[in-house]
Amino acid sequence: MAGVGDAGGLRRQRLLTHYDKSRNSYVEGIMEPQCKKRKTKAISTFTWELMPVLSDEELCEVELLEAYAAPIINKRQTSCLIKQLACIYPLNSLPHIKRVRTCRDKNTNHSLEIIICLLRDLNCTDVPNGEISLSDLFPDGKDIGIGLGEPFQVMIPACQPLTRPQFEAASQHWPTTFHENKQVTNALRGHLFNTEERAKVQTFMEKAIKAAKLGKEIGMEPVGAVVVNPATDEVIAVGHDCRNGPNPLLHAVMVCIDLVAYGQGGGAFNHDRYPNCHFKSEASFSGDHAFNTGKPLHPSEDHSPTGVPVNGLPYICTGYDLYVSREPCVMCAMALVHSRIRTVFYATSSPDGALGTKYKIHTKKDLNHHYDVFKGLLEGECQFFS
Amino acid sequence: MDEGGRFRPPEREEQERWMERALGTAKEALENGEVPVGCLMVYHNEILGLGRNEVNETKNATRHAEMVAIDQVLEWCRQKDKDREEVFEHTVLYVTVEPCIMCAAALRLLNIPLVVYGCQNERFGGCGSVLNIPADDLKHSGAPFQSIGGYRAEEAVELLKTFYKAENPNAPKSKVRKKQ
Ligand SMILES: [Zn+2]
Ligand SMILES: [Zn+2]
Repeated sequence: MAGVGDAGGLRRQRLLTHYDKSRNSYVEGIMEPQCKKRKTKAISTFTWELMPVLSDEELCEVELLEAYAAPIINKRQTSCLIKQLACIYPLNSLPHIKRVRTCRDKNTNHSLEIIICLLRDLNCTDVPNGEISLSDLFPDGKDIGIGLGEPFQVMIPACQPLTRPQFEAASQHWPTTFHENKQVTNALRGHLFNTEERAKVQTFMEKAIKAAKLGKEIGMEPVGAVVVNPATDEVIAVGHDCRNGPNPLLHAVMVCIDLVAYGQGGGAFNHDRYPNCHFKSEASFSGDHAFNTGKPLHPSEDHSPTGVPVNGLPYICTGYDLYVSREPCVMCAMALVHSRIRTVFYATSSPDGALGTKYKIHTKKDLNHHYDVFKGLLEGECQFFS
Repeated sequence: MDEGGRFRPPEREEQERWMERALGTAKEALENGEVPVGCLMVYHNEILGLGRNEVNETKNATRHAEMVAIDQVLEWCRQKDKDREEVFEHTVLYVTVEPCIMCAAALRLLNIPLVVYGCQNERFGGCGSVLNIPADDLKHSGAPFQSIGGYRAEEAVELLKTFYKAENPNAPKSKVRKKQ
């Protein structure tokens, strides 16, 4: 990886040269002085924070519903009460709610509490201002109330939490099931990428920034992009924005998508006039098709890292990662859906950005492909561009 | 028409005439084994771009009919030495299927004033079906444009159904798809 240490203006000394797959580690470059001592120090100080751009559903506050619960007087009746309540108030829309919880107040003589029903399950006219008795809750079969204490109002989570922060907030109210996505939890804590991985993604973004600068020198918008095959760490395409040339739609991302197509024997535009936009042809790919170890945040069948077109269709970026110096616009973000990109890393947000600012195209439910997005990579270095 | 002046939308009758042509193009595409989506870009009564999907031949999943037609308009401007901004600001797109989100955003970036389309694009539509790009508040992404849908939508849907039935006999028949 020549050029790793050439990012102008960056004070950090880059010490990693290439990734040795057999040793599963970076091999230090022979050109680098005093490797051993400076290595840990140099690569553990990053000036940027990598933040996942999650869906609104993952980021929103947990919605709560008003419900009634009651203490269970005799613990041994619990399973019987659960069965009876499941018939009267099945709570079908709330499969994530744990019906019984241990009592939080240790000064009471009961140890368990059970959800009876939602406020909306009751005929509201019957409920005088929150004051409710067991006979209001069980108008037709009062005998079930025998095992229960005085009912009280609680707030319970309306849906299953998607992230650990949501789970923690939801659990403050009532226990709920939670299928933790460890990748998302780690991403939110900033723990998803270890030092080596952070060093690696930084080198790719440095290439994108370099492309942006070269584009700027010839009068283009200063945006650069790089497509990488994470299975082999090969750079598949490098492009800068060309919108100020003959085609105003040639944003850096569109340029890169077409360059990847060129590498696979296709392509639609003539990039000859822009020597800094280049691709690596498929024939020159390394034979190593090892599956990459980085796990996607939101796995899907579209995340196949082989780059093999599905059904012979030209889904050219399948399994590939994109590094782009600023947040893509709507056109580019949707072009990446069509091209089946795996992950997008960007540095700075843009005012009409479609991967976090104005839209989150990559998480849009109705669309047939989704990808992961991280922002903030080398944000400081890119700020002067925008 | 007033050259260089403000854009005046064509009469309904004229719109219908161009949509007839777009449908004809879609039918030709079907006869040639292509995804039957047809589109025209019309500037002062002249067809500057006539697009069909080129995804397979370019191996580039962004080469939708609209993008291909846009490139033809750009080429026309180059050859005739016309100001492309002025041309796009007076060009109407006629397309048999609602443009996808990407194409809608591209049309907006070029300040196209009007898009007339046939059937909706439930999977990717950018003019109301999935997102509404022409109407949204995007200050740095060109001007909002007008879009008129529903013109001979049944015929446009029928063409797509025929294509997908032929391509994949096991495909579910339910949704209208625009595989571009
Ligand atoms: Zn863009
Ligand atoms: Zn499209």
